[in-house]
Amino acid sequence: MAALAPHSPGTDQIDTLLWIGFAAATILFVAVVGGLLYVLHRYRTERGAEPRQVTGGVGTQLRAGGALGAFAVIMLVLGIVYTDKAREAPATGSAGLQSVDSEPLKIATTGQQWLWRYDYPNGAFSYYKLVVPVDTTVELDLVSTDVVHTWDVPELAGKSDAVPGKTNHVVFRADEEGTYLGQSATLSGEAYAAMRTAVEVVSPQRYEAFVETTKEDIQAAQDRVVGLIDSGETP
Amino acid sequence: MSAPARSPELIAAGYPRSRPRWAQIVTSADHKDLARVLIVGALGFLFIALVELLLMRLQLVVPENTFLTPVTFNRMLSLYGATSIFLFAVPLALGFFYYVAPLQIGARGTALPQLGQIGTWLFVAGAAVLYAGFLFTPSEAGVNPLPPLSGIAFLPNNGVDAWAAATGLATLGFVGIAIDLVATLRRRRAPGMAWRRLPIFSWAAAIGSWLLLAIGPVMLAAIAMLLIDRNYDGIFFAGDSGGSPLLWQHLSWIFYTGSYMLVLIFALGAIAEIVPASARKPLFNRGAVIGSLIAIAVVGTLAWMQNMLTAPIGLGWMYFAMVMSLALIVPFGLIFFNLIATLAGGTVRMRSPLLFATGAIVAIALGLVTELNHSLVALGWRLQHTVDSTAGTHFALIGGAVFGGFAALHWWFPKMTGRAMGETLARFSFWTMLIGSLIAFVPLMLAGTEQGQVIDAYKFFGGTGVSTYNLIATIGAFVLAAGILMTVANAILSRSGGAPAGHDPWHGDSLEWFALSPPEPHNFDLLPDVRSPRPMRDIRDAIAHRSARAERPQARESQPVA
Repeated sequence: MAALAPHSPGTDQIDTLLWIGFAAATILFVAVVGGLLYVLHRYRTERGAEPRQVTGGVGTQLRAGGALGAFAVIMLVLGIVYTDKAREAPATGSAGLQSVDSEPLKIATTGQQWLWRYDYPNGAFSYYKLVVPVDTTVELDLVSTDVVHTWDVPELAGKSDAVPGKTNHVVFRADEEGTYLGQSATLSGEAYAAMRTAVEVVSPQRYEAFVETTKEDIQAAQDRVVGLIDSGETP
Repeated sequence: MSAPARSPELIAAGYPRSRPRWAQIVTSADHKDLARVLIVGALGFLFIALVELLLMRLQLVVPENTFLTPVTFNRMLSLYGATSIFLFAVPLALGFFYYVAPLQIGARGTALPQLGQIGTWLFVAGAAVLYAGFLFTPSEAGVNPLPPLSGIAFLPNNGVDAWAAATGLATLGFVGIAIDLVATLRRRRAPGMAWRRLPIFSWAAAIGSWLLLAIGPVMLAAIAMLLIDRNYDGIFFAGDSGGSPLLWQHLSWIFYTGSYMLVLIFALGAIAEIVPASARKPLFNRGAVIGSLIAIAVVGTLAWMQNMLTAPIGLGWMYFAMVMSLALIVPFGLIFFNLIATLAGGTVRMRSPLLFATGAIVAIALGLVTELNHSLVALGWRLQHTVDSTAGTHFALIGGAVFGGFAALHWWFPKMTGRAMGETLARFSFWTMLIGSLIAFVPLMLAGTEQGQVIDAYKFFGGTGVSTYNLIATIGAFVLAAGILMTVANAILSRSGGAPAGHDPWHGDSLEWFALSPPEPHNFDLLPDVRSPRPMRDIRDAIAHRSARAERPQARESQPVA
């Protein structure tokens, strides 16, 4: 199965940073392990006179430390640049759901043992499945009603914790219609591994139809319950 | 009543009266006896941690496996985390510090022996509580029991209380031992043993002990708050009534990050003793290595928020954590550079301690470069909480505590027992462990990086592209365990059956090799005047010089090389 592909401007940047980080890690690892294995191979001997008792001066250490420090600074700059890019809230594209004030589509997202609940702006809500319009900037406002959960749909956005008492945010703009799977990523108790979620990216028209019918269905179910109670049919 | 003897007699035979071995051990306040309790206990708990790890890996061998129930898996996970950190890695490091550092500085005992005794037995008490909890209900809250999950509302049984009591007792014990070590290193150094001449491993002991004095009380405070929240209606970690769940995360990560650094400081300190003696050269630059160890303790612990990049803590703090994590490239890089420069130009004899030290450096380097990726903030959002994070932490800590710990074990085993560990079995063990750890954890790196497989989950789903990786990882975990058990068996067999090693089998530079093997209870009858960082080498030179002057045949090496 192919590796996860980025499907949002933010994850595009994270993907680039992944390759940068992988390259940096490879350079450092090969330098340390390669150097070590080389000297072990080159100077390994069972016999031999006592070697010259050489030690290094401060200058060597400063040069080595300076080179390592420069490497660290480069990584820091790259880390900040790409993190800032990944955080940028992209504007909704032309194919997306257009709003009057060009604000992102805000969806209140609640983690609870062991489900994700999504509350849409019109009052409709859904569990497990989040439906969003394509090419539209979506902001999830994450809260938790019980323990700490981590919302994680790696193709669309980085992870964010839902912590009780604090609101966290996830912003993404899905570039392609389809279903993206995710799974909660902080141990939350017994059914933690089953706490999954799916983001269904659809056209703006289908999104609007979905929230409308969902709202109507919820209202219908509500009316039916009230009707049953009023008519005395419930125990 | 008999009449008093007419003349005083010197009665030495049978005095002090010999007591049973167990009574001697449980009443001893000698640092060597206590350190053996710590080291043997740590190795025993390594075995138990391995059993727990293998049970979890068996559960994760195929998708949606039902070998363990979710609750059992979470209990194994919680026990595994507490055991491997509080009952294996930290006590192993402290045990070697406690055994070796007083000998290296030429002390006849520690400064506060009773405190060290209390500390050691508090560790044993903590271990007993954790596994007494096993008879009833272990914690289900995971490696780091985050509130609110670890609160009374979500886990009402006494598992988390047992976890808190066990880790609290052990941490309190570690702090006691650290105080004794600091006092000993400050007050009990032999004449001439200035700080600038202190052996590297004793420096590591000093740095590690100070670090524990800083982070231990933080963890104790957090544990006290957790117990108050659970049992006395506290609100320290209650988000809706004035407390904060993030408070626990900060406090506990300060301790966990600090103890991670402690384990690496221990391993690098031991390696910095093994490498120069094996290459028969002095350490390339002592000052740089010591300064780097201090920097690792300080900067590394300040990077604790690297573990909280997904939490709502503010971008500025995330960048702070990234700065600290990336700054670690310099001290770790300098230490590796100095170790390599020490080997260069030497006559390197490859014995089991150097072999394990090499494995330790490979595994630690692999773990550290993984952590480096996790510290790049946006990349951390992608990689943290995945099994890539599990793999990176395991490489660093297996490199530090298992490979590094085994390097230290092979190095100082002759001092502790008078016998060398079997070289052939050591080599088999090493290669099995190295191959096993690569097979066990590299696939998890791929599963975490490519597919985002999440951490700590009792199952994974088919069709998510991680089945093969998990199967291979389970096989690797068994290979790794087999390799580890070979070394444990080697230690047990060599204790009585190993080749006699003499007092200075490696031609070490520091004073522990001046003591007998095993050392007398008072460590030394007499001590040389310390005039350099390599006092034992000075002693050997002086002996050779005198022998030559007396026109005897050229002095041979005083002890056979094991």
